[in-house]
Amino acid sequence: MEDGDRLHVVTADHISDQRRRLGKTLVWGSAALMALIMALQTLDGIGTLSIGFENWRPSLYAYLFWSTCLCVSQVLIRGEHGKRTLFVLPAALFVISMVVFPLLFGLVIAFSDWNLSSPDGRQFNGIDNLRQMAGDPFYWNAMRNMVWYTVAIVVEYAIAFGLALLLNGQIRARKFFRVAFLLPLMLSPVAVSWMIGKSMLEIRFGPISRFMRYIASEPSPDLAAPLFWIGSYISDFGQWLGWASPSFFGSAGVARAMIMMMDAWTFIPFMMIMILAGLQAIPRELFEAAEVDGASKWRQFWEVTFPLMLPVSITAILIRIIFKLKLADIIINITSGGPGGATDSVTSFIFREYRDRSNVGYGTLLAIVYLVVIVIAMTILMKLADRWMKPRY
Amino acid sequence: MKVAMYKAIMAAQMSRRNMLKGAASVGALAALGGANSLTSAKPAQAAAHSDLRAQLLKIPGVGMGSPTDADWQRVGELCLGPTRERVAEGEFEGVELTFLGLNNQNLHNFLFRGFLKPWEAYTGAKINWIDLAQADYNPRLQQAIATGTVDFDIIEMGAPFEGDTAGKGLLDEMPDWVKDQIEADDLVGYLQPPVGTWDGKTYRITIDGDCHTFCYRKDYFGDGAIGGAEVPRTWQEVNQVTKDLVGKTDPLTGLPAHGYLDPLKGWGGFGFYFIANRAAAYAKHPNDPAWLFDPDTMAPRVNNPAWVQAIQDVMDLIETPGAYPADQINADPGTTGFQQFLAGTGSMLMWWGDIGSSARTSDTSVVGDVVGFGINPGSDRVYNSQTGAWENTYNEAPAMAYLGWGIYVTKNVQGDDLKRKAAWSAAAHLGGKDISLWMSAYPSGFQPYRNSHFQYDEWEAAGYDRDYIEDYLGSNADSYNHPNAAIEPRIPGIFQYYSVAEDELAKGFAGQYGSAQETADAIAAAWEGITDQIGRDTQISLYRASLGL
Repeated sequence: MEDGDRLHVVTADHISDQRRRLGKTLVWGSAALMALIMALQTLDGIGTLSIGFENWRPSLYAYLFWSTCLCVSQVLIRGEHGKRTLFVLPAALFVISMVVFPLLFGLVIAFSDWNLSSPDGRQFNGIDNLRQMAGDPFYWNAMRNMVWYTVAIVVEYAIAFGLALLLNGQIRARKFFRVAFLLPLMLSPVAVSWMIGKSMLEIRFGPISRFMRYIASEPSPDLAAPLFWIGSYISDFGQWLGWASPSFFGSAGVARAMIMMMDAWTFIPFMMIMILAGLQAIPRELFEAAEVDGASKWRQFWEVTFPLMLPVSITAILIRIIFKLKLADIIINITSGGPGGATDSVTSFIFREYRDRSNVGYGTLLAIVYLVVIVIAMTILMKLADRWMKPRY
Repeated sequence: MKVAMYKAIMAAQMSRRNMLKGAASVGALAALGGANSLTSAKPAQAAAHSDLRAQLLKIPGVGMGSPTDADWQRVGELCLGPTRERVAEGEFEGVELTFLGLNNQNLHNFLFRGFLKPWEAYTGAKINWIDLAQADYNPRLQQAIATGTVDFDIIEMGAPFEGDTAGKGLLDEMPDWVKDQIEADDLVGYLQPPVGTWDGKTYRITIDGDCHTFCYRKDYFGDGAIGGAEVPRTWQEVNQVTKDLVGKTDPLTGLPAHGYLDPLKGWGGFGFYFIANRAAAYAKHPNDPAWLFDPDTMAPRVNNPAWVQAIQDVMDLIETPGAYPADQINADPGTTGFQQFLAGTGSMLMWWGDIGSSARTSDTSVVGDVVGFGINPGSDRVYNSQTGAWENTYNEAPAMAYLGWGIYVTKNVQGDDLKRKAAWSAAAHLGGKDISLWMSAYPSGFQPYRNSHFQYDEWEAAGYDRDYIEDYLGSNADSYNHPNAAIEPRIPGIFQYYSVAEDELAKGFAGQYGSAQETADAIAAAWEGITDQIGRDTQISLYRASLGL
C-alpha cells in the first residue's frame, strides 16, 4: 500500500509483472492499431493509397477499441488505483471524442476549398481562406458592427441596473413586476423579430408607425381653438422628428439602433435578474451603517451598492457579451444584414456564406477565426476585470 | 417459395389478365361496331374524361373555403385511373419509398400525402416523408449530395438544381411508360426539353411552371387616371410613370400613390429574380440564348451595359424622393407582393402567379377588382453581347424565374426493379394531367404549366370569372410561349451566384458603391470567384448544356 492512500485504497493489490506486461501490451497494441488504421485512412483520403474506405468508421471503431483497452489496462496495471481512474476516464475519452475530434475536423475543413456544388469536393487550400478573409469587406464590416453591438451593452447594463434597483425596492406588486420584466427573456428572438420587427414596426400597418403618423398629422380643424393650437404644436414636433413618414430600417444608423433595441429588450431582463440576485445578497447592515454615518442615498449607492455589485456586474456583462456575439436571428429575420450591411453581424454573415452559398470551407474558417477572437477577447476582459476588482478587496 | 416472389408472380398475372381483359374489350368493341365503333367510343371516353375534370374542379368548389386533406385524398382517388392501367392492385406490397419535399404554407408535401394515400392503398407501397422548409431545402440537398448521403428515393426539386443532381449522375432516367402516363407532350413550350433533360436523358416530371408576370392596378391607368392613359409597355415607361406618380394620391386607399415596387432587400437568393426581370428586357437578345454568362468563357454578363442599365433604373428611383414607399430598402419580394401590392400600396409589380391566385381569394387583398396582368415589360433598345452595342429595336423577354418544381427519382432505386417502378408510378401519379388541373386551380403552391390548363371554359364552368381568368392565365401563357423567353441556367450553385449578387446589390442600393457599374463589377467579380471555386470548365459545359448549345 502506498503512502497517502491509506484512507482510500481498501484492497492490497499484488500485481504481477506478467499482468503489468499484459496491460501495457494491450494499451500499446491497440494504440498502434489505431494509429495504423488512421494513417491508412488518411493516406487513402488524400489519395496516396487507394484502399477504398467508404467512410471513417474504421478509425472510429479503432478509437473505441483503444479506449476500451486503455480502460481495461488501467485495472490490469494499477489495480485498485486503476478502478478509481475508471470513474473519470470514460467521461474524459467521451469529451475528447466530442470536442477534440470535431474541432480537428473543423480545422481541416477551415483550411479547405469546399463548395458543396463543386464536383471536386473538398480540396486542401492552405491559407487561401485566411487571405480571402483578410480582403473580405463583408466580414470586416460585420466585425465593425459587432463592436457597435457590444458597446451597446454598457447602456443595457445601466438600464438593467436601474430596473434591478427598482425591483429590489419596497414597491407594490413586486413579485408581479419581477415576472413581468422577465417575460421578454422567455420569448424566442425569432418571435421577437416577427412580432416587433415585422409586425409592430411595419411601416404601413404597424401600430407604432400608425401612432407616429397620427402624432405628426395635422389636427382636425373642428377642434376647439386651444386644442387645435396644442395639436398643431404636437404635429409640428412630430413632423420635425420625421414621424410623418416613419422608417425604422431605412437608414444605416436607425436600423442598427433598432436591432440593438430589440436585442436589448430581450436580454436586459437576463442582466437585471443577475443584478437583482446580487442586490439581495448585500447585507442590510452595511446600508444601516452607512446611514448612521450620514451617507446620502446617492453616496450609499456609489460607496456600498456599486462596489459590492462589481463582481456580479462583471459576470453579467461578460455573459451578456458572449450572448451578444452570437446575435444573428433577429438580423436574419428582419434586415438580412441590410441596409447595405449596416446591421450585419458576423454570425448572420457566416450563415449566408455557409448556407445560402454552400461555401463550407470558407464559412468554417470564418467561424473558427471568430471563435479564436472571442476566446482571446474574453480572456483579456476577464484578466482586466480581475485587475479592476483587486484593489477594492 | 418466398412470399415476396409469390406476390410478385401473382401481381404479374393480375396485371397481365387486366391487360388482356382491356385488350379483349377493345377488340370486342371493334368487332361489334367496326371502324365506326371506335370513333363513337372516342367521344364517349372524351366525355367521361371531361366529366372527371369538371368533377375535379368542384372539389371543394370555388368559394367553398380552403381544400382539406379529405379533398386531396378524393382528388388522388379520382385521378388513379392511369395508375390502375399500369399497376396491378397490391403490386408494390412491401415496397417502402422515401419522399423529400417542401412544407411551404402547409402545401406541397401536405398535398402529396393526400394525393398519394389512395395510391398507397391501391398499390400496397408505403411512403416515408421528409418535410423541409423552403429555406432548409438547398442546404439539406447540397449536404446530402456532398456527403454521399442521398437518403431519399423521390424528390420534389426545382429545375435549377438539375445541375447539382442530374449533372452529378444522382438521378434515375425516366422510363418511357412514365412519359406516356403523364402526357408530357401537353407541357407548355418552355418546359419541354432541354428543361428536365440532361445529356439527352429525361429525368423530370414537371408539376409546376414558373415565370414572373406583370401585375398592375387598372385604376391607375386609363383616360384621366393618375398613371396615364396606357399601361406602361417598357421598363423606360415604368420608371417614368413611377417618377410621375410622386405626390399623387392612390385612388383606392387615399394614401400616397406609388409606381413600380422593386424589392430592394435580398430573399435568400430569390430576390435576384426581380432585378433580372428588368435586365432581361435589356440583356436577352432574341438571337442569343445566353444572358447571364458568356457561354464560351463563363465570364459574367452581369456587368455589361444592359445589366448596368437595369441596376441604374432602380438607383434612379431610389434617388427620386417618394418614388418608393418609405423603408423600401428593407422590402423583400414577400413584402412587395403581399404587404404592399395586394394591400393597396403601389401600382406595378412583377411576381409569380401567387399574386394572381391570391388577389381575389386572400383576405388581406384589397386589389382583387382592380388588378390586371401582362407579361414582363419590354425595352426600347436591346444590348447585343455579340457586337457589344445597343440596338434600337423593341425587345421583350419574360423571365422564367425558377422554371417550376418537378418530381425526380434518385438512383437509389436502381437495382430493384419493383422499387424503381413504384417510385416512378408515385411520381407519375403526382404529375398526371388531370391532377395537375386541380393543382393549378386550387391553392397548391404550383402554377399552371400545361397547355390544357389554359382551356378557359373549364375554369368558367367551375365558377371562375372568365375575364379575370383569361387575363391572369393569359399572362402566364404568353410568358411561357414567348419566343424570347429568358430561361434560367440549370448549373450547379446557381443560387450561390444569386445570393452573392443580392449582397452586392444591397450595398449598391444603400449607396456604398460609387455607381451602378461599380455595383455590377462587384457582382461580376464575386461570380468569377464562385465559377473558379466550383470549376470553370464543368460550369461552361453544364451551362452550355442547359442552354441547349
